[in-house]
Amino acid sequence: MNEDQILKISANAAIVAFVFSFIVAILLMLNYYQLKANDPLELESMELLVERLKDEPNNEELKSEIRSLDLLARKAFFTSQWQVKTGRYLLLLGSVIWIFAMRYYFTARSRIEEPDAAQVSEATARTFSQRWIMIAGGTILLLAFLASFAVNDHLKPYQASGEGEGAGPAADESIEVIAITESPDTVQGEAYTPSESQLDGEPAGDDELAAQTVEGESVGLTAPAGLSGLAGTHHNGFRGPFGNGVSQHKNIPVDWDGMTGKNIRWKAEIPMQGYNSPVLWEDKLFLTSGDNSVRMVYCFDSGTGKLLWQQEVRDIPGSPATPPRVTEDTGLSAPTVATDGTRVYAIFATGDIIAFTMTGKRVWARNLGVPDNHYGHSSSLIIWNNHLLVQYDSNKGGKLLSLDTSTGNTRWETSRQTGISWASPILAEIGGNHQVILSADPLVAGYDPETGKELWSVDCMMGEVGPSPAFGEGLVYAANEYARLVAIRPGAADPVVWENDEYLPEIASPVVSGGLIFIATSYGVLVCYDAASGEKYWEEEAQQGFSASPLVADGKLYAMDTGGIMHIFSLSKEMKKLGTPTLGERAYASPAFSDGTIYLRGEKYLYCIGNE
Amino acid sequence: MSKRVKIVLFGILIILVQVAAAQQRFPKPEFETGYVQPSPTTPEPRGLAVEYMDVLVLLAVLSLATWFALRSRSRRGILWLSVFTLIYFGFYRKGCICSIGAIQNVALSLSDAAYNISITALAFFLLPLLYALFFGRTFCAGACPLGAIQDLLIIHPISLPPWLRKSAGIIPVVYLGLAILFAATGTEFIICRYDPFVGIFRLDAPYHMVVLGVAFLLLGMFVSRPYCRFFCPYGVLLNWMSRFSKWHLSITPSDCIKCKLCTSSCPFDAIDHPTEESAPPPGRTYYRRFILYSLLIPVWVLVGGFIASKSYTYLSRAHQDVYLSELLIHHPELVNDPDNLDIQAFLSSGKTLDTLVEDARVVQQKFRTGGWFMGGFIGLVIGITLLNQVVFRKRKDYQPNRGDCFSCGRCMDYCPVKN
Repeated sequence: MNEDQILKISANAAIVAFVFSFIVAILLMLNYYQLKANDPLELESMELLVERLKDEPNNEELKSEIRSLDLLARKAFFTSQWQVKTGRYLLLLGSVIWIFAMRYYFTARSRIEEPDAAQVSEATARTFSQRWIMIAGGTILLLAFLASFAVNDHLKPYQASGEGEGAGPAADESIEVIAITESPDTVQGEAYTPSESQLDGEPAGDDELAAQTVEGESVGLTAPAGLSGLAGTHHNGFRGPFGNGVSQHKNIPVDWDGMTGKNIRWKAEIPMQGYNSPVLWEDKLFLTSGDNSVRMVYCFDSGTGKLLWQQEVRDIPGSPATPPRVTEDTGLSAPTVATDGTRVYAIFATGDIIAFTMTGKRVWARNLGVPDNHYGHSSSLIIWNNHLLVQYDSNKGGKLLSLDTSTGNTRWETSRQTGISWASPILAEIGGNHQVILSADPLVAGYDPETGKELWSVDCMMGEVGPSPAFGEGLVYAANEYARLVAIRPGAADPVVWENDEYLPEIASPVVSGGLIFIATSYGVLVCYDAASGEKYWEEEAQQGFSASPLVADGKLYAMDTGGIMHIFSLSKEMKKLGTPTLGERAYASPAFSDGTIYLRGEKYLYCIGNE
Repeated sequence: MSKRVKIVLFGILIILVQVAAAQQRFPKPEFETGYVQPSPTTPEPRGLAVEYMDVLVLLAVLSLATWFALRSRSRRGILWLSVFTLIYFGFYRKGCICSIGAIQNVALSLSDAAYNISITALAFFLLPLLYALFFGRTFCAGACPLGAIQDLLIIHPISLPPWLRKSAGIIPVVYLGLAILFAATGTEFIICRYDPFVGIFRLDAPYHMVVLGVAFLLLGMFVSRPYCRFFCPYGVLLNWMSRFSKWHLSITPSDCIKCKLCTSSCPFDAIDHPTEESAPPPGRTYYRRFILYSLLIPVWVLVGGFIASKSYTYLSRAHQDVYLSELLIHHPELVNDPDNLDIQAFLSSGKTLDTLVEDARVVQQKFRTGGWFMGGFIGLVIGITLLNQVVFRKRKDYQPNRGDCFSCGRCMDYCPVKN
């Protein structure tokens, strides 16, 4: 074989290899674009079938059809994947042959070149090099220098305002820094007592408010009701009495429509938005709202929806001039109020806590210190025998406070070895005594509500704990997204009875009733477990996620998704959906119950729903 | 090369880019009730015996490359050795472990007492340097998969002017400085992250990295080994070692007959001409410049150190703690974005923002301090490179430049003197 023949063979090999590689590449691209245009895993027909299945959950033929289509789709997908993988190797093979053929061709064709006769002067070349080294080096350093001035150190302002008590707000307004004001210890005893005029029903004027003394004494109102008096009668706080999400009220409706007005007894516009839930005491319904300019407490007539009174939360010693920066989906009024039938108590993300009489007279108010909370404080209040209990977990550490319901003075304060949390306290009767139970990172713990003494704790939580604990069947349940759902026997040597991490809530709290525990996730899955063993009985996917905590009333589970659709199930091991009535607007708050009635807070309206 | 061939070459490389971008991720399937999602498992680390095998292969390849370059003077041997290296260290070992990346393991082990460098990484870092110290850059000739893939694609090399080569030679020094700083602060292994050829070795890479790799190969058809010459941080160290090499590849096995046939043989412009062929340097001017550049070296060092130290603000943002701190401070609303995995991972860790900011400040301080060293080092190299331009050494023959020569052996093929 002579040189020309070798050259010809290598040239032909290069051409063949190129054509082969080109065809493979084109096929791969076609495969890619075909897959992109008609993804077998996103078939429209499949979605339609799945939609149909929701309406016909027992249609076996439909299930079989879905399975067959799903199998086909997956086969198509994996075949396509195989084609891509094989194509890549073929392309590599073609490219390698092409490269070697090309190299051989050019090497064989190359001839020894004539030596370069014209020599560049080395001195000239070196002079050029010196100039360009200086230009290149200088340019690199200059660009780096300019960049160092063009870029700000964003951590500096954070340092300036984050360190040291009483430091001013951040210099950079765009930076979320929550100013730390005086701690509750330093403002202890500065509870605000109302003037005579306020007791008579007239809101205090500015001058009067400024002149009021801080004595920390009771205003002489009747003693608040004890816990036993509340249970089972009034939906007096977040998730009802005990904060446990189980109501004793009966005849709760299962069908309504906020758009058409079906079973809507009244619908009242809420003056301002807020994420707290309505609280009910006899004929009064309470809720709060707030924004950067004003924080309000509202009282509605539960029978008519008429706004009975509204009070602005202001002129509180220690309250920050500028509210702390909070996220939009938490706001400044996320905590739900609590009432004992004598007063209604509200807390805001500013750290302001306030008490009004049931007729709207301000009783006392104080600031607990602005919570260092990057979303906004959201833990709701709960009452136990003249103790107003506040879970005050912030980035500066955790604490549980008891305030005197009549004066606002601190009765006791317990530091907790926990981080920040957004969960609310619940009450439970364990071993014949009441306990207040809290969930945070990392502890789920029980405290004596009379003294604040920690009775037990279990290190089992992590992350940013939003869901409140639940109690039932002698067990405490706590859960959080990215952590676990855990059942705890308080005080036991080996307290964790069972745990599960398949479905976890982010915001909504678990609820326990009838030997079952229900979890509502922020991605829209509602799950039922056996409360004693953790065995999963059923799960149901909603169109929207759950922010509102599910509640149990009248032997039924009520779980409202963020789309305003209430998912009602019977308390059974088999999933039995009783209805999906809609509100007609988005909703984030948990319902309040009274006999025959359910109260719901939508984004804009407050609803009273009862069977016609 | 004909225009048609160039068009064909360009076409196939563009197609390669398109195909490599056609990656798919299989979504998590939705199973019926009853299916238990398996827990993710961490793959076992590569067995020690296999790691040692890699070291032995490296040692064998280095020895063979040295043998081919210095004793048997076989360009063909070096060529096939580089093909083996490309297959073994490139496609089989998928570009990892490599000596270039091992710089970072060494830097991290020196700055972080808690980090234990593996014997393999240390061997991969030291062996090529030792060989370079005695025999020149034989690692680049036949033991580096990154060099091999570029070397095999050299089609029509063009010569670059010295001023361009010298000034572009600052880039790998900066890259080396940054790689050490980032590794020593525990920020990132940027050499690995931005390895342009690893995606080709693995037949899988992000789109931009495939584009970068193909661009280097495309450029390398005409500007030989662009990554090795103008980016490789390990090449900086090999260059220094090779300058002192006791034995180095020579163009001719005996006396140079000055036939000049080798002058255009080196695609890397790494052949120094005899000094008598260049015009003699003007004496007094160069003495003055020598003194000036010598005095400027500490200035370069101080200015470089100061500027790099000042640059901590943006350099430290590559560190996850600093990046997350600034992100959370500036965009607190992102905590509600379930798709932001960085923030979601942070939130699930239970760490507070205060702690994160505190950690970030520690990192920034490391960058401030490290910046002085890095900038000083870059300034020093710039100053010495400048000084070198006014230092003349006499050469009688055509010789490979010991620092720049990759010992590929092409020039040997051109030399008519064979014994």
